[in-house]
Amino acid sequence: MSPPASKELGVTVVGGGSFGTTLASLLTEQGWRVKLWMRRKEQAREINRDHINSRYLPDFKLPAKLKATTDLEAAVKAAPVILMAIPTASFRDVASLVGNHVRGDQVLVHATKGLERETFKRMSEILREETCSLKIGVISGPNLAVEVMRGNPAGAVIASHYQEVIEKVEVLFAGSRMRMYGGRDVIGTELGGAFKNIVALATGVSDGMGFGDNSKALVMTRGLNEMVRFSVALGANILTFGGLAGIGDMIATCASPLSRNYRVGFGMAKGKKLEKVIKELGQVAEGVPTTEAVWSQATEMGITDDLPIVRAVHGVLYEGITPLQALKSLMSIPVGDELAALRSS
Amino acid sequence: MDERDKERVVVEVTHRVMDAYGRDPKKVEQALFDTLYEERLRLRTEKDKDEVKRLSGYYKKMQSEAAKADLERQRELLSELIGHYTTEVSGHFDKRVYKAATTVIPFAISGLLNTMSPLKLIQGLPRGFETLGDQLVLQGEIELLKDLASKGTIVLVATHSSHMDSIMLGWAIYKLGLPPFTYGAGMNLFSNPILGYFMHNLGAYKVDRRKAAELYKDVLKAYCGCTIEMGYHNMFFPGGTRTRSGATEERLKMGLLGQGLDAYIHNLRNKKENPDVFVVPVTINYELVLEAETLIDDYLKEVGKSRYIITDDEFSKPRVVFDFIRKLFSLDSKIHMTVGRPLDVFGNAVDDEGNSEDHRGRVIDRRRYVFRNGRPGFDKQRDKEYTIELADAITASFHRDTVVKSTNLVSSAVFGWLREQNPELDLYKLLRAGGGKPTVPLRDVYRRMELTLKSLYRLSDLGRIRIDKTLSRGDSVLMMGEALAHFQSFHQHPAMVRHGDTLCHEDRNLIYYYRNRLTGFGIKEVEMGT
Repeated sequence: MSPPASKELGVTVVGGGSFGTTLASLLTEQGWRVKLWMRRKEQAREINRDHINSRYLPDFKLPAKLKATTDLEAAVKAAPVILMAIPTASFRDVASLVGNHVRGDQVLVHATKGLERETFKRMSEILREETCSLKIGVISGPNLAVEVMRGNPAGAVIASHYQEVIEKVEVLFAGSRMRMYGGRDVIGTELGGAFKNIVALATGVSDGMGFGDNSKALVMTRGLNEMVRFSVALGANILTFGGLAGIGDMIATCASPLSRNYRVGFGMAKGKKLEKVIKELGQVAEGVPTTEAVWSQATEMGITDDLPIVRAVHGVLYEGITPLQALKSLMSIPVGDELAALRSS
Repeated sequence: MDERDKERVVVEVTHRVMDAYGRDPKKVEQALFDTLYEERLRLRTEKDKDEVKRLSGYYKKMQSEAAKADLERQRELLSELIGHYTTEVSGHFDKRVYKAATTVIPFAISGLLNTMSPLKLIQGLPRGFETLGDQLVLQGEIELLKDLASKGTIVLVATHSSHMDSIMLGWAIYKLGLPPFTYGAGMNLFSNPILGYFMHNLGAYKVDRRKAAELYKDVLKAYCGCTIEMGYHNMFFPGGTRTRSGATEERLKMGLLGQGLDAYIHNLRNKKENPDVFVVPVTINYELVLEAETLIDDYLKEVGKSRYIITDDEFSKPRVVFDFIRKLFSLDSKIHMTVGRPLDVFGNAVDDEGNSEDHRGRVIDRRRYVFRNGRPGFDKQRDKEYTIELADAITASFHRDTVVKSTNLVSSAVFGWLREQNPELDLYKLLRAGGGKPTVPLRDVYRRMELTLKSLYRLSDLGRIRIDKTLSRGDSVLMMGEALAHFQSFHQHPAMVRHGDTLCHEDRNLIYYYRNRLTGFGIKEVEMGT
C-alpha cells in the first residue's frame, strides 16, 4: 500500500464514458484524489453538483469527492498517472490533446478495447505517436462497468513493457474490489480486449437466434482460437489468452446481456438493422469498427481463411448477409484438427 | 585523453563493473572463475609467445589463490582482473594518439587518397576521379551533426557492411572538421596493413574479440560509457559486426547502445554543464561491397549459429583493396553516407536547436524520462526498455536512409525470378543448384525490376527509403548496364553476366547478398522470395 501522502498526488482519468466514470469512482473510493476529464461542460457540472453521470451510468450515485473537469491541461499536467478511457473513434484526437501537456515522467495507461479503424493500430501505438510518453500501459479484463459500479469483485490485467507502470497501477488498485494483475504482453492484452468484441457479436447472434449453450460455447471456443491465431501472428504471447485479458474477458462479454457488442449481435439476429440496434444502444459498440479493422488487417496478412467467425460477423455487419446465411456458411466449413491453428502459432 | 581522465576511467570502470557483481558470493565467484577459464583457454591458441609467457603463470597463480579465498579476497582478485582489462583497453587510447589524430589524419588520409599518394593508388585512374572523397556522397543532417558536437557528446552509430566503412567514416569525420571519435575496433583491424594505418590515427582503442569472458565485455561497455560521460565523442557499429547477409541491421547490440543513456543519467546526476548525449545514425551504401563473397559465404554457412571471426578476408590483402578502390573510381561508383536525424538516448528526434521532439514535432523535456520522485536516477528495467526504443529509432533511420543501388534492384529481380521458377527448392538448394534454368530472360528481369521500382518510388515518396540517381531516372536498361558493369568489375565470379537477351546467374550467393539489402521494407516483390 502506498502512503496516504502519495494519494494526494492523485490520478487523472481521461474520458467520462461509462468505464472512465467507473474507474474514477472506484479510485476515488480508494482514497485517491481523482480528476475525471470530459469534453461536455454540462456533464462535468452534473457530476460535480449532482454526483451522477446520467447519460452513461444513470442508476449510480458517484462519490462526492470525485471531481469532473473540462480543463485538460490542469487535469493532465500534475498527475503521476493518467488513465485514458476513450472510444477508438476519438482516441487519437484526445491522445493528441493529452500529448500537449504530458511529460516523460508520467505514466500513461489506457483502457480502450479496440483498434483504430483506418490504420488497424492499437491504442498504445497511437499513444506513442501522439504523445511523448514512453511509459505506456493497457488495462484490460472482464470489467462490465455496471457490475463494477455495483461493487462486485472483478479482476483485470495491467500490461506494460515498464515495470514502473505495472507497479504504479497495481498500487492504485491495491485493496480495491478490482484485482489488478501485472503482465508484460501489451500486444496480446490489447488484441484480446479488441477481438473478444467480435466474438461477443457472434455469441449475441447465436443467442438471438435462440440457440442454446452448446452453440454459444462453440462460438466462444472457436472465437478464442481465432483470437489467438490473429494475435500471435502480430507478436502476442499465446499464454496471455488463458488469462483475464483473453478467455476471462471473453467469458464476461459473451455471456452477459449487459455487454454492448452482445446486444448488437442479439438485435441483428432478431432481424433489426445495424443502425437501429446501435441507435437503441445509445453507446459505442467497439466490436463494430473492430470487426472492420481486424478483417482488413487479416486480409493484408493473408490469414482470413483461419478466421471464419470474423468473416461471418463481417458479412453480417457490412455485406448484407443474414445471420442465418452466415451460420450456414460457418457450419459448412470442413472440420479438421481442432487446434491446428494454435499449433502452428 | 589526458592522464587525469585516463586514471579516472580506470577507477570508474573498475568501480562500475564491480558494482554490477556486488557482494553476491555466487556472482563474484562465477565471474572470477569464468574469466580465468576463458583466459587460459585463449592463451592455448595465442600466437604471441611473450603474452603467453607473461600471463599463464599469473593466471595459474590467481586460480589457485581464488580457490582458497574468501569473498573479500575474491572481490579483490576480480577487481584486479577488471583493472588489468581496463588498463589494456584504455592503454590503446592515449592522449598522443587522440591529439595526433587531428593533425595527422589530414596528411594520412590525403596521403592515401589523393593524387600524391605514396601508395601510387591512383595510377591508371581516369581524370576527374582523383580522390576517394569524390566518390563519397556525404548527405543528410551534416550541419546539425557539427552543431550538436559542440552542444553535447555524440554517439555515432553506423551501418556496417565493409571495413571500408571505417575509412569512409574517418574521412567524413575529418572532412566535417570534427575531432576524432573514440572507436572500439577489433584487434585484427590494427594488424591489417591498411586499416591499422587509419586506426592508430583515429581515436581508436583495441577490442580483442578473442577474449570471450563476460567480464571483458562488461569492461568494454563501461569503458565506452565512461568516455561518453567525459565528453569524448564515440563511434560504433551497433550491429556488432559487418552484416553477413547484406541486409541492413535490424538487431542491435543493446548493451553497448545503452551506454549513451547511462552516461546521460550520470551527467544529470552530476549536474554536468553539457549533459546531453546525441545519437546520430549514419547509413552507408555501396554499389559493390569489397568483402561480399566472404560475408555471404559466412552467413550461409553459419546462419543460426555463432559466427567465427573473419581475419583473412578480402580486406587483409592491400592489393585487392586498391584494386577495388580503383574500380570504384573507374565506374564512378558513388558511396552514399547519409547522416540521419540525430536522436536523444530515448530514440526521440532532436531538432535544429538540440531539443528533443515528439512524433508531432512538439518540444519535450527529455530529462523527465529518467526522473523519479523529481530526481534523475537509474532503473535497470526501465532503461533497458528505453534502449529498445532507441534501437527501434536507429533501425528505422537506417532503413529510411538506405540508398538503393542498381546492383540491389537487379539482384532482387533475378533472385525473385529464380524463386518463382523453383518453388520446390529451399533457399540452400536454390543457391547451390539455381534450378534447371541457368539463364534468365532479360524481359522477365526488366518486368520484375519495374514492379519493384514502383514500390520503391512509393516508399521513397513516403520518405521510407532513398533511391540512387540511376534508379530515379527510371531507365531499366541504364540500371542494368550499371549493375552489370559493377558485377563484372571486381568479384572473383561476376554475380551475373549478360548473353544477348538473357542473363546468366553466375554467383547466386552474391545475387542473394545484394538482393538482401532490399529486405525489411515490406516490398512485396522482394519479400516473396525470402
